Amino acid sequence: MVALPIFVVIFSWALPEHELWAHFSQNLLPNLISSTAILLIGVGVGVVLLGTVLAYLVVMVEFPGRKWLEWALFLPFAIPAYVLAFVYLGVFDYSGYAQVWMREVLGLPGFDIRAGSWAIILTFVLVFYPYVYMMTRASFKRQKINMIDAGKLLGAGPIRVFFQISLPLARPAAAAGLLVTLMETLADFGVVSLFNYDTFTTAIYSAWIDFRSIEVAAQLASLLVLVAFFLIYFEKKARGQAKYYSTDIVNRKPYHAKGAVGWLISLMVLSIFMLSFAMPMLQLLIWGWTSVAEEWSAKYIDLIASTSILTTSAALITVAIATILALPDRCKQGSVWLKSVIRLATLGYALPGSVMAVGLLYGVNQISEINNYLGGESINHLIFGSIALLVFAYVSRFMAIAYSSIDASAQQIKPVFTQSARLLGASRQRLIWRVYLPMMTPGILAGGLLVAVDVMKELPATYLLRPFGWDTLAIQVYELSAEGLYERAAVPALIMVLFGALIMSIFQYLDKKSSKTS
Amino acid sequence: MLAINNLSVVYQNKTVLEGFNLSLEKGEIFALLGDSGSGKSSVLRFIAGLDEAKKGQVILDGNQLSTAGQHDVNPESRGVGMVFQDYSLFPHMSVEKNIAFGIQHLPKLEQQQSITELLKMIDLVGIEKKYPHQLSGGEQQRVALARALAPSPKLLLLDEPFSSLDKNHRDQLVAQVRHILKQTNTTSILVTHNIDEANTLSDKVGKIDNKRLTIK
Repeated sequence: MVALPIFVVIFSWALPEHELWAHFSQNLLPNLISSTAILLIGVGVGVVLLGTVLAYLVVMVEFPGRKWLEWALFLPFAIPAYVLAFVYLGVFDYSGYAQVWMREVLGLPGFDIRAGSWAIILTFVLVFYPYVYMMTRASFKRQKINMIDAGKLLGAGPIRVFFQISLPLARPAAAAGLLVTLMETLADFGVVSLFNYDTFTTAIYSAWIDFRSIEVAAQLASLLVLVAFFLIYFEKKARGQAKYYSTDIVNRKPYHAKGAVGWLISLMVLSIFMLSFAMPMLQLLIWGWTSVAEEWSAKYIDLIASTSILTTSAALITVAIATILALPDRCKQGSVWLKSVIRLATLGYALPGSVMAVGLLYGVNQISEINNYLGGESINHLIFGSIALLVFAYVSRFMAIAYSSIDASAQQIKPVFTQSARLLGASRQRLIWRVYLPMMTPGILAGGLLVAVDVMKELPATYLLRPFGWDTLAIQVYELSAEGLYERAAVPALIMVLFGALIMSIFQYLDKKSSKTS
Repeated sequence: MLAINNLSVVYQNKTVLEGFNLSLEKGEIFALLGDSGSGKSSVLRFIAGLDEAKKGQVILDGNQLSTAGQHDVNPESRGVGMVFQDYSLFPHMSVEKNIAFGIQHLPKLEQQQSITELLKMIDLVGIEKKYPHQLSGGEQQRVALARALAPSPKLLLLDEPFSSLDKNHRDQLVAQVRHILKQTNTTSILVTHNIDEANTLSDKVGKIDNKRLTIK
């Protein structure tokens, strides 16, 4: 069921619209492929570089301010990509005060922030580096310090230790972070449309909205599914046979950066935090402060309520399904069928929210038509515009996040635990409740919180599927910023960031707790 | 050749070792005995430059490596090799890559020659392409020794390297390691809590008792 939208978009090839497809493939496709590829490569290189270097520094090097920066670097997770995009556009656009200052005070010529790909790549890197940071940080923490000491005593300096020992060992984690980032980039609509940058997602919108062709939209979407398959394959390959983890958690820092070097590292890490979180937040606060009187009204209570209900229910359902899929089971190991089901169920992550929505609407409509044909009634009026359909879209879209987090904790349950519980006479049910679930709890909580943050930020599917009167904070941000009302958009954006930061701090608290107990 | 003067180690605000003095001649093997928490591993880590101490000086081949508990020379430039209790082989590198790690500055041909010689010495010819997880505990231990010996360190530190092996393997390996260390004339310090191991391997045995070192 979760994979339904994927089947629908693949099925779309059965109903080709030759003329329109020919137009798309001849005139637009080559450009789309190259601009999407440039974006993916740029963002990929950027997040891997920034994410791994930052993670390495906070785990392996002692420098001034390290403790709080280690946690502060997670905060950009709380800012939706399109919020950071509108803040940057508001500040660095031709009429933004950064450029006005450059022209009027420094006398420099202006520039077009939307020209080329650098600005949009930079925006994505600053929003998405925490994925790589989070995963490689966990991996570095599990590297044996003795191994690094061995490297040092064999004559390797810090840079050689990083490139030849730590980095190759963290490769699977970096690849996993990269995969999530690239899928997020592929699925993004908010940032690319604010920057007027053409990607597959904008083309899908155009096929659907400008040309009214759900089929071409779905066909383009199926190409995205293909890219997603390739990315997942690449990630599995990068992960390879390697099982490098040790069970000890690093608490001693192998390097102490003293004096100027230490402060230089602090400054570098701090500047990333400033660029990705503190400065945009400050700008939002300034804008929010000036417009809160005008913008705030009782409708915000409704917006917060509907956002909370949708976020909570979607996170709970997603986590419940992902937990069932991730439960360790001997039959599962060999089951190709189940593995394929999981792969399909988690592919929704690569589907843009809009396509997810189209797929669902299209699918429901087809069911109704079949039902009509068989003499039954249309189910459209029951399902279109219902909370159920929207929650279903969220569940399918964010299953991968919940699954990967929960599966990672399930992977740590060694067969010996299962075997000893079995030998002690535990039934399968008791095994699940008393052994598996307690051991998977950190992963389940982390998965749930990550899904909650993503659901709260989700825009395109919410926009198309929301029931009447169920506007969310994300919709409010989008509608205001699309009209260039950045100051007013700052109010709902700030509320979202506040909620996001709250969820992330719970996540960090749990993470700290679990690293203490493991 | 090696002189350690007036070393004091504090662990969790408690002095565990005071006034530790030791001098070794070139090629001499010293075994340091002591109970858990007696600070014997801290002595090795201080000599290696990995941890600082409250007080203490290290002089190796006339060069002052550490003074007043602080290090003047980085671990990577001290010419000190170490074999760890858990071997700490690089899991993503084959045996030959592990051994070559410390001699990458040499031309390829010389590296290859050195690897071949070392493998012959540790009696493990033919496992060059294997990865650490494909080796037994004893084999990993010998590869770790070969890796530490490859750059011809002035001083080799062995931190309980035999503790995870069974008795038969251990006795055999201890004798073999002594032979190799003598053959290469490597000045060495072994840390252990096993008195038989200490007596078989070393020329001189010391014990940390009541925060003080006594040499037998």
